[in-house]
Amino acid sequence: MFKLISSSSNYNFLGQKKIAIAISAFLVIISLTSFITKGLNWGIDFSSGYIIQLKFDKEVNISEIRTAFEDNGVTDSVMQSFGSNNEIIIKLKEESNFNKDSVNIFLLDTLSETHPFKILKLEFVGAQIGDELREKGEWAMLVALLSILVYIGFRFELLFGVGAIIALIHDVVITLGFFSLLQIEFNLSVLSAILAVIGYSLNDTIVVYDRIRENINIIKTNSYVDILNISINQTLSRTLITSLTTMFVLLSLFILGGSAVEYFALAMMIGILIGTYSSIFVASTSLYFLGANAEQRNDL
Amino acid sequence: MVILVLMVSVIYSLPNLYTSYPALEVNDNNKVDLVQLINIIDPTINPKDVIKEDNKFIFKFSSSKNQLDAFNKLSMSNTKTNYTLTSHTNLPAWLKSIDAYPMFLGLDLKGGVHFLLQVDRDNIKTNLLREISDDVKDILIENKFRYDSFYKTKEKVIVSFDIDKPISEIIKKINEVIPDILISKIDNDADIKLEIFPSEDLISRDIDSSLAKNLTILRSRVDELGVAQPILQKQGKDRIIVQLPGLQDSTRAKGILGSTATLEFRLTKGTPEDWYASKISGTPVINSSVLYDQRDTSPILLSRKVIVGGADIKGANSGFDSSTNTPAVFVNLSDYGASRMLETTSKNIGSRMAVIFVEKNKKEVINVATIREAFSKSFQITGLDINEATDLAILLRSGALSAPMEIVEERTVGPSLGESNILAGKNSMYFGLFLVGLFMLIYYRLFGFIANIALIANIIIIAAILSIFQATLTLSGIAGIVLTVGMAVDANVLIFERIREEIRNGISPNASIYAGYQKAFSTISDANITTLIAAIALLTIGTGAVKGFAITLVVGILSSMFTSIVGTRALVSIIYERKNNKGLSI
Repeated sequence: MFKLISSSSNYNFLGQKKIAIAISAFLVIISLTSFITKGLNWGIDFSSGYIIQLKFDKEVNISEIRTAFEDNGVTDSVMQSFGSNNEIIIKLKEESNFNKDSVNIFLLDTLSETHPFKILKLEFVGAQIGDELREKGEWAMLVALLSILVYIGFRFELLFGVGAIIALIHDVVITLGFFSLLQIEFNLSVLSAILAVIGYSLNDTIVVYDRIRENINIIKTNSYVDILNISINQTLSRTLITSLTTMFVLLSLFILGGSAVEYFALAMMIGILIGTYSSIFVASTSLYFLGANAEQRNDL
Repeated sequence: MVILVLMVSVIYSLPNLYTSYPALEVNDNNKVDLVQLINIIDPTINPKDVIKEDNKFIFKFSSSKNQLDAFNKLSMSNTKTNYTLTSHTNLPAWLKSIDAYPMFLGLDLKGGVHFLLQVDRDNIKTNLLREISDDVKDILIENKFRYDSFYKTKEKVIVSFDIDKPISEIIKKINEVIPDILISKIDNDADIKLEIFPSEDLISRDIDSSLAKNLTILRSRVDELGVAQPILQKQGKDRIIVQLPGLQDSTRAKGILGSTATLEFRLTKGTPEDWYASKISGTPVINSSVLYDQRDTSPILLSRKVIVGGADIKGANSGFDSSTNTPAVFVNLSDYGASRMLETTSKNIGSRMAVIFVEKNKKEVINVATIREAFSKSFQITGLDINEATDLAILLRSGALSAPMEIVEERTVGPSLGESNILAGKNSMYFGLFLVGLFMLIYYRLFGFIANIALIANIIIIAAILSIFQATLTLSGIAGIVLTVGMAVDANVLIFERIREEIRNGISPNASIYAGYQKAFSTISDANITTLIAAIALLTIGTGAVKGFAITLVVGILSSMFTSIVGTRALVSIIYERKNNKGLSI
């Protein structure tokens, strides 16, 4: 039998709770500090503006394109080459020298004579839509967290729900912190990744909780801490294997999926790393401190 | 049951395996024959295949570039026929007969243009206020209520009266005639002011009806663009989504969709000397005339009176002037417009008439011609290039938008990027599947093999469900499927780990299998239901990319629960149930 974790594994996870708390607190504080000082690098989905991906007939020098834009009065563009040297991505603010009706004509006038090109992608999001998407996204996150709290409260007990939510908020904050710290663009696909991470990390936490609930009724002799530890150990190999298989597909999305899903895969990979860690350490530690003391409860 | 579900799924996911080709559909309305069409298209572009199918020719192409080239050739050739960009799949008849079609690909995979248009609320408000102001003035005059001042701001109409006027009677009268307005009275010592403005209810009803009218108008405009399967739908209170698959260049679509362009006809005034004199002095030198620019920026003076405007134009076609062979728009007027035109032209033979192109706040004289003889209903206009003529004819045919619309979101994906997105999606799915499958096989041996079969069945079921409901597959949808692949094995991992545990506890193999499935079940369902909750929260955001991801995630979770619990259980039973097993390959 091939095993990742010895079947007789008996790591004292809760014994490490001080270290876990220190690590988590450190990560959360860094993330929050980064939010406050740097904020998120909102993509056009949430902030409004243009993203244009052009493919030129031959290799181009970005500085030439930038000069061409500047000559035509557009100075606030952000450009980067993409993949090969004949593809570039240009980001522009909404209040540029042209409007959404004339952007194509502006491009043709500015570039087509010197640098013939094809438009691979052109996206425009107006300010109103950007605000709305942001609002909707925040709502979706809140609704997801609340309905999960209700469901777990209903299936387990409220304290388990609170424990799971603490673990979730921990995961989301750190994942967002990563995006803020490295100033990676935060767009709609990253938002969907974050929501998927919520689902995934919860999945992990629930498997552990489920085992705790089961063990409380079977193991009568041990202390609460032991029950928590035993449950985490019993589910450990499953936790790691599932994270591993999910990592496999995310890695293949990240490498092969192209630019459109790149950030999505990145956000999920970070979220899953953090989520795996939190379902082992954070979810149980918070349960310990919340004192969901099942020894006094038989209704679980 | 497992077998039944699988068989249905295999059948309905089959159409996705047939390659689809970019194609052009040309309606055979007995005006064109195949040879003629091929002559137009063929010289440089080789269509892969031509099929005749109930009254239409379908040209298949090997790439979307060829397809678009052919499309452009056809539109330049001025052939009198209908043609649309589409894609064609060689499905066998028996699949079509059970309504099995391939998944509907989203714009990010197929290429195309997505617009979100929003009605200009301010414009609607201004128009409403103008109507209200006119009506109120009429009522006051009709009923001989004398007012001291009457003026209009951006938000409201303000009328002031002497304090001895019967104000409550005035308010009652106005409210009777125009119900949905708000009137507030401001009393001070000197006079009484009435502030009148439209109610929110009236504004939103007006937006509603404008949106409905605009939707119809946009639909007829889109039909003229020659796009197969365009999607137009209302979104929210004041928006319309327009999706044009296959379209590569959004420039023309933008021009046509948002355009309020129309024509006006007026007589000219004075002589060229007067025109230039007016330009220099900056004001018209002749009474009741207006200074305009011609196409070549030279000035011209026109009468203030409009003979015929956009509302009187009933139909229009583009084509070529038979004598000069320059592009032309053939215009048909309504009966009222025709009689006005006849009256004016018969009285003014020998004078000159100008055609003015009106778009938003811009007015431009495109053509000035001497009236040689009286005409009424139909005539032709020159002075535009071929593209302008085609587009103007479309706009005139579809009628004017009842309120201006603004583009608030645009997403254009070129067909080549779409193709590479499909490839990227497929590759990452195969590679992810391979890695996960390999791992499961090494780690769980025979049981891993069973889980892999379930995984493949899962993908087939997802494909079948998406095809049956004709859901739109986007790149983020593919990401959702790929993610499901990673997570779908979770249920099996849970079960298998549980079986291993039972075996370690010294329980017999068959009992271990039984216990493993039973004990893991509640964990699996709890875990999946919470993921479902997150996915449904995603659905509420409801925008393109997120929605596609959420849908496949929901479908994936449900079908993976089926395959990895019910499906693997069935396979395990077949292999192990009847034997007295000494051990399991797990």
